[in-house]
Amino acid sequence: MSIDQALPAKPRSWLPLWLSLLLALLYVIAVDLELDGEALLYGLEDMAGYFARFGSPDFSNLSSYLQLLAQTLAIAVWGSVLALIAAVMIAPFAAITISPNALTYRLARELLNFMRAMPDLLLALLFVAALGLGPMPGVLALAVHTAGFLGKFFAESMERVPAGRYEAMASVGAGFTQTLIFAVWPSMLREAIGNTLYIFDRNVRMAAVLGLVGAGGIGLELHDTLRLFRYDQSSALIMVMLITIIAIDQLSTWIRKKLT
Amino acid sequence: MTAMNWRWPTPDGRLPSAVPLAVISAVLVLAASAWLIEVSPVRLWQAGPRLIAFAGHLFTTPDWAYVPRLAEKMLETIEMTVLATFLALLLAFPLGVLAAHNASPHPIIFQMARTLLSSIRALPDMVVALLFVSALGLGALPGILALALVTVGFMGKFIAEAIEVVGTRSIEGLSAAGAGRWQRIQYAMLPQAMPDFIGSLLYILDHNLRAAAVLGLVGAGGIGYDLVMAMRLFDYGRISLIALSIYIVVTLLDRMSAWLRGRVLGRRVNVH
Repeated sequence: MSIDQALPAKPRSWLPLWLSLLLALLYVIAVDLELDGEALLYGLEDMAGYFARFGSPDFSNLSSYLQLLAQTLAIAVWGSVLALIAAVMIAPFAAITISPNALTYRLARELLNFMRAMPDLLLALLFVAALGLGPMPGVLALAVHTAGFLGKFFAESMERVPAGRYEAMASVGAGFTQTLIFAVWPSMLREAIGNTLYIFDRNVRMAAVLGLVGAGGIGLELHDTLRLFRYDQSSALIMVMLITIIAIDQLSTWIRKKLT
Repeated sequence: MTAMNWRWPTPDGRLPSAVPLAVISAVLVLAASAWLIEVSPVRLWQAGPRLIAFAGHLFTTPDWAYVPRLAEKMLETIEMTVLATFLALLLAFPLGVLAAHNASPHPIIFQMARTLLSSIRALPDMVVALLFVSALGLGALPGILALALVTVGFMGKFIAEAIEVVGTRSIEGLSAAGAGRWQRIQYAMLPQAMPDFIGSLLYILDHNLRAAAVLGLVGAGGIGYDLVMAMRLFDYGRISLIALSIYIVVTLLDRMSAWLRGRVLGRRVNVH
């Protein structure tokens, strides 16, 4: 088996150049952050010993953990529902195909961008400073941050609805609200439910850490047990958290699969 | 035309029963869980004025002397993001290939890689950061490791999903020419999945920047630590500067990645 023709020249690849530039950048960063390999190795050694202390979970306070867990879930539910309500109201204005005019479109877009840009823990910190400790600031922080995401998802779904449906509504004289109710929402309901479930899923995870800034939920307890070196209790808390998160993740994946 | 003239597009012209049912059950769930989150009308009533008063405090003279340190901390935050994301890429790439059912060498390896990725994803990044800080001490290192670890889970999943949806024709073509498994992965699957990779890499960078901005809350480096300190000291001149700078950096990266993603995904559309 022989090839008579000469093969065409191999196309030039810039990959090695980009890779070496990237590696150089990462090296510069590592130096700037004062990370060195030796410390990392020692650290890994320490960590193996450290995580061994989580071996024997102590479930003696399980009932109080479960109460905190219920609070965490309630924060996630309330945050998601409030976000859903806000997103449903803002999204139509942020979809270029149905927004009444260019000004409302820009305003709604910027509002959603702003909500998304503020990390929710940062918002929680601000709300805690303004409203005092407790789950309420956590709910508000989750609601504001995820309304930005949901609004964006909804607006994008609305932009994907075939234009013919809007035309059909316009041709029978439907107004803005009627178009929304009879053309937009029926066309994107499945997608919207999927997105909402995804956001709920995400909010459960976030609600689990909001406690770190004093905004309620199971996170504060975890922080405290770690500070008191009660690794057995931390380990129990982490297990409770993990089981819940995985269960909700599985449930929402299952529902989303059924929807599509 | 008033709302009363509407006729719903159902056989009997009435609202489908699923709609009020969903609303009522949602209200019931909220009402049942209200005590858990300590909803009190009085507090909510007070919340408005307090929020406005708080927002008013933020409009003080910014603490300009703090700007150089702010820039330094912000740079540290960005550096942590970049380093963590690329560290994660090193691990996520092979794991992602093994967790894609069309590229994985064996069903058992596929299942193991899947399970490994989803268990890595399960813990929130702040919890992982908290654990790493209490294991390694304060600083950027535990933050980077925590971020990288959680990112492996997400990135591996995205990579696997991108590989699973590639077209089968080029793979068939390569098999017909006698290519082995790794050759098929290298020359048929990866090039097709590349635009999706880059898209999700940008998404993850975005997400990690937000995460890195708050990792400092648990002492894991970056701008978050300064923010908590300023909060505790009611140093409003700094709080507003820090919040504003986080907003600006996150928005800039968001815009940039939206633009890049549009270009990368747009090119794919042209190829097909």
